[in-house]
Amino acid sequence: MTESRDCGLDVAAYALGALEGPEAVAFESHLVACAVCRDELAAFEVLAAALPLAATPVEVPRRLRRRVLAAVRDEAAAATAGRARRVPRRAQARRFTPPRAAIGLAGAVAIALAIAAGTGGLGGGSGTRLYRAAVYRSGAAAQLRVAGAHAELIVERLPAPRTGHIYEVWRQRPGHAPAPTSALFSVTRTGAADVAVPGGVNGVSRVLVTQEPAGGSTVPTSAPLIVASL
Amino acid sequence: MFRPAKATRPDLRLLADEDLMGSVRDGDARAFEVIFDRHSSVAFSLAYRMCGRRTMAEDIVQDAFLSLWRSGARYDRDRGSVRSWVLGAVHNRAVDAFRRDSVRPAVDVGGDDASGRLVAAERTDEQVERREEASRVRVALGELPEEQRHVIELAYFGGFTHTQIAELLQLPAGTVKGRMRLGLAKLRIALGGRVEVLT
Repeated sequence: MTESRDCGLDVAAYALGALEGPEAVAFESHLVACAVCRDELAAFEVLAAALPLAATPVEVPRRLRRRVLAAVRDEAAAATAGRARRVPRRAQARRFTPPRAAIGLAGAVAIALAIAAGTGGLGGGSGTRLYRAAVYRSGAAAQLRVAGAHAELIVERLPAPRTGHIYEVWRQRPGHAPAPTSALFSVTRTGAADVAVPGGVNGVSRVLVTQEPAGGSTVPTSAPLIVASL
Repeated sequence: MFRPAKATRPDLRLLADEDLMGSVRDGDARAFEVIFDRHSSVAFSLAYRMCGRRTMAEDIVQDAFLSLWRSGARYDRDRGSVRSWVLGAVHNRAVDAFRRDSVRPAVDVGGDDASGRLVAAERTDEQVERREEASRVRVALGELPEEQRHVIELAYFGGFTHTQIAELLQLPAGTVKGRMRLGLAKLRIALGGRVEVLT
């Protein structure tokens, strides 16, 4: 179906998240120059944000509430315990792990910095470590947040995967090939994603992200876009 | 004998979301509990509407809220309300799950099949007000011409792209986009300025 481009038609589809990846990127470029579309989009995005209210109310299962709040309380308690044991900040600063991971992908070097959680964010407390990842996409950034057994990859400004493709998270143990995980993801319109790393990172030396055909792959079919070295 | 007044902690339930998020950033689990209780119902309702499966909806909502807890420092009030953040996280995770697992609800994602659903009891004035707001959105959406409502629901609740919808409905892609635009324009008129306070 070949159609001439009508930017007005794209506004609603974009607001509803219904444009394909390349179309969305093209429309975002168009928005820079088209005030009419920007205004209409602002109104439509408010409407799209209200659509969840149209869902028939369903009571939250008690087990869900218990699970979420138990996890939060456990992490808060662990953070409190960690703070009690924490050494003074000045001494801690001297103990930062120096950059140590050089990786040979496209000649780039991944810098892994273990950062005390107090400098990086909330919730994890001093048990949280942040690892800055090497990202092979201009303007994009990523970091791996590790809190106890939980690891989460936080991605910003990453372009959407190609049509028919998805991003896949891999875990790699020293001396082993990357192993696939069940974490497949796309990104928001701003290129953001928060992705849990299934299985955590115990014994794992690197967490990688590749672009794979929809449904994921069992072995990487493209070079890593993101590499977080622990 | 004079007794100094005890320093009492304010009732967290009286605080606005944005103020609670300040405490959440400091690792306050009680503040997070208030956030969860305020927004989990609409979040779970959205997830269940999109997935049609309780366990999948629970996993998505759990993941979204734990993400808020663990990355709350990155929450920026200038970019939207806490509720918008949570609902956006639920929506994105559901769409990701559809595309990852090729698991989708039935194509008719607009159904109001109430079987197995339990409407939450109204407990506070605030909840009553929110349910009235939600009712306005449901009514406005329900009053759209069916062909417009259908493409909007397929896109938003079903996570389908306009080309997928065009294939499903055997329509030109331009027609699908046009119906989406007409539908949203009518919703805008129907909800008027009220929609600004809904999100």
